Amino acid sequence: MNSIVQNILVFTTLAFALAFIVRKFIWRPKKASTKACGNDGCGCS
Amino acid sequence: MSKQIKVALIGNPNTGKTSVFNALTGLNQKVGNYPGITVDKKQGVSKLNDDVKANIIDLPGTYSLNASSLDENVVIELLLNKNDKDFPDVAIVVTDVENLKRNLLLYTQIKDLEIPTILAINMSDRMQRKGISLDIPILEKALKTKIALISSRKNTGIDELKQLITNYENLSTEPCLDASVIDKSYFEGLQKAFPNQLLYKLWLVITQDVNFGKVDKKTIDSVSEFKTKSESDLKRLQQKETIKRYQFINETLKKGQTIDPNAATDLRSRLDRVLTHKVWGYIIFAAILLLMFQAVYDWAAYPTDLIDASFASLADWTKENLPEGAFTNLLAEGIIAGIGGIMVFIPPIAFLFLFIALLEESGYMSRVVFLMDRVMRRFGLSGKSVVPLISGNACAIPAVMAARNIESWKERLITILVTPFTTCSARLPVYVIIIALVIPKGTFAGISYQALTLMSLYIIGFLTAVFAAYILNKILKIKSKSYFVIEMPNYKLPLFKNVAITVIEKTKSFVFEAGKIILAISVVLWFLASYGAGEQFNNAEEIVAKEFPNLSETDLEDKIAAHKLEHSYIGVVGKTIEPVIKPLGYDWKIGIGLVTSFAAREVFVGTLATIYSVGSASDSEDEETIKSKMAAEVHADGKKVFTFASGISLLLFYAFAMQCMSTLAIVKRETNSWKWPMLQLVVMSGFAYLVALVAFQFLNK
Repeated sequence: MNSIVQNILVFTTLAFALAFIVRKFIWRPKKASTKACGNDGCGCS
Repeated sequence: MSKQIKVALIGNPNTGKTSVFNALTGLNQKVGNYPGITVDKKQGVSKLNDDVKANIIDLPGTYSLNASSLDENVVIELLLNKNDKDFPDVAIVVTDVENLKRNLLLYTQIKDLEIPTILAINMSDRMQRKGISLDIPILEKALKTKIALISSRKNTGIDELKQLITNYENLSTEPCLDASVIDKSYFEGLQKAFPNQLLYKLWLVITQDVNFGKVDKKTIDSVSEFKTKSESDLKRLQQKETIKRYQFINETLKKGQTIDPNAATDLRSRLDRVLTHKVWGYIIFAAILLLMFQAVYDWAAYPTDLIDASFASLADWTKENLPEGAFTNLLAEGIIAGIGGIMVFIPPIAFLFLFIALLEESGYMSRVVFLMDRVMRRFGLSGKSVVPLISGNACAIPAVMAARNIESWKERLITILVTPFTTCSARLPVYVIIIALVIPKGTFAGISYQALTLMSLYIIGFLTAVFAAYILNKILKIKSKSYFVIEMPNYKLPLFKNVAITVIEKTKSFVFEAGKIILAISVVLWFLASYGAGEQFNNAEEIVAKEFPNLSETDLEDKIAAHKLEHSYIGVVGKTIEPVIKPLGYDWKIGIGLVTSFAAREVFVGTLATIYSVGSASDSEDEETIKSKMAAEVHADGKKVFTFASGISLLLFYAFAMQCMSTLAIVKRETNSWKWPMLQLVVMSGFAYLVALVAFQFLNK
């Protein structure tokens, strides 16, 4: 029982670590804006 | 609900703007980035009274609204765009009482944007010593605003400034200069084409190529009834504008300011003569650097050792007191070892930034920049490159970002590309452990061989950076204007609060940025070293017991752990790359360390710690144990892994290789291209491989 719980905890921690590394170095969520140009149609996309 | 006022803090560099920001906001501040660029965006909240709060944004220091760097562009972009969520209700222009004439240029430009503007004259505590007196009512009338005479050092006038912010709606928005006086007919045409727009804003759009609302330079150029001028004519008009502004400022100061030179007691000129002297200047700078590094290593060693020992004890305690199993092992060998590996870097980083902050705050850093410009220019760098190259000794990431204030794009790019050669603190643990293993104890002229080796590695890093800059300067065909403008601030005693905030911010940023990566990699590494597939891993106990039937229980456990490690997932990876690194004198375990250090160099020692602790039945994880295990490592033929030849090869590899993903990411962001970080990765790592190969093959004879 103890061994199963410990293994579940190990794999959960590993999943978090991998997700963090992937997010940090491989896939980054895109940011909405790249230029401080306000909210109206100022011409900068 | 309390009223919120948006306040922009603007000013020339070295006017004490950040001190004013700290005085207004205390610790209620946060640092972020402007969208899309890596210019620091500092924001904070100041409680003005029970009903009113001010959201204060500390804009990058700028000399005028004629932008020449990324930082300055941020100021213009914000002030032109009323739709920006940070567009201020009121602007505070911070000026230095000793440099009012120059500082007021920016004030008059901001005033002409018709934004309610308060003039904060800082460093008023120095007025008496400098023989300066001001007639505030006359200045207020001429400059069409309210003035706060403050001293952020002595914390005087801050309440008055808060009062003025609260009553910002009473401030006049009348401009200082009628923009049309620059060129009547040109500006009349411009106003006719855009009757609803502010003339000075239009002028900034034309000259700075920025935009606001729906208007940008292209829109103006495309309007048929208005013919814009050539670049050179526009430059001439800009010069005319500056002259007109200074005429106005001179007139104003003639009426409102008197300076009595006889009353001034000037130590600054005498100090400058020595500190920027072409011989003494360099000697003093070298002495300060020596003192700084000596102090960083000596002083930081005590807390570092304490942290190291605490984490080793915690790992032991965890193994002894928690239920036996995989997760307990992960905690002790992966997570606690990983966090310990981050925490031991805190003291040296904090000490280094403490010194850098003290040098900057005292006004000495500007003298160093001026002094080094003479040398740096010969190698295609700017005097301002000194700051990134010095900061690079702590971490290349803030150092690369510090190159932003270099105006010439070519000099900035070269600085960014060569900065990772300087010895960052992440290399330090690698150097320390390898030097301890392969360099004999003993002294030369009272200095130990090990310390001399360490110093040589720092010198090699700096000289390689300068040499690489020289080569890049010859190769890169980038045309850019090269000029050098540096503010020489007055010498002053560093403010404890400012120094403390800098040290805390930089250390925090290391722990929470690099620290998270190291921790995550430690977890993954531990897993890869503790699990594996196949007969050899799963039946390790039987295989080893059959092979070594006469071993004692402890030795047998060690052999089993080593056998399992060799056939674990990480062992398979290490064995695969071994043929590539063997000519450098490395085995597969070092290979794993090299691979993981491409994420961050500091991971190397952590990796070896994880590999050797997983690969051994022993519980102890202190450095001596790792060191002695490393010293005992042998190749299949019985020869030692860590010899003088392989150690020097490894040190040189780490001195030159581009092993930091975060630095590559920051270079990509700063250069807005993958081309430059990829060039760094390939050239630096290729060069490192070559040098390490030659060193090993030569020394191994």
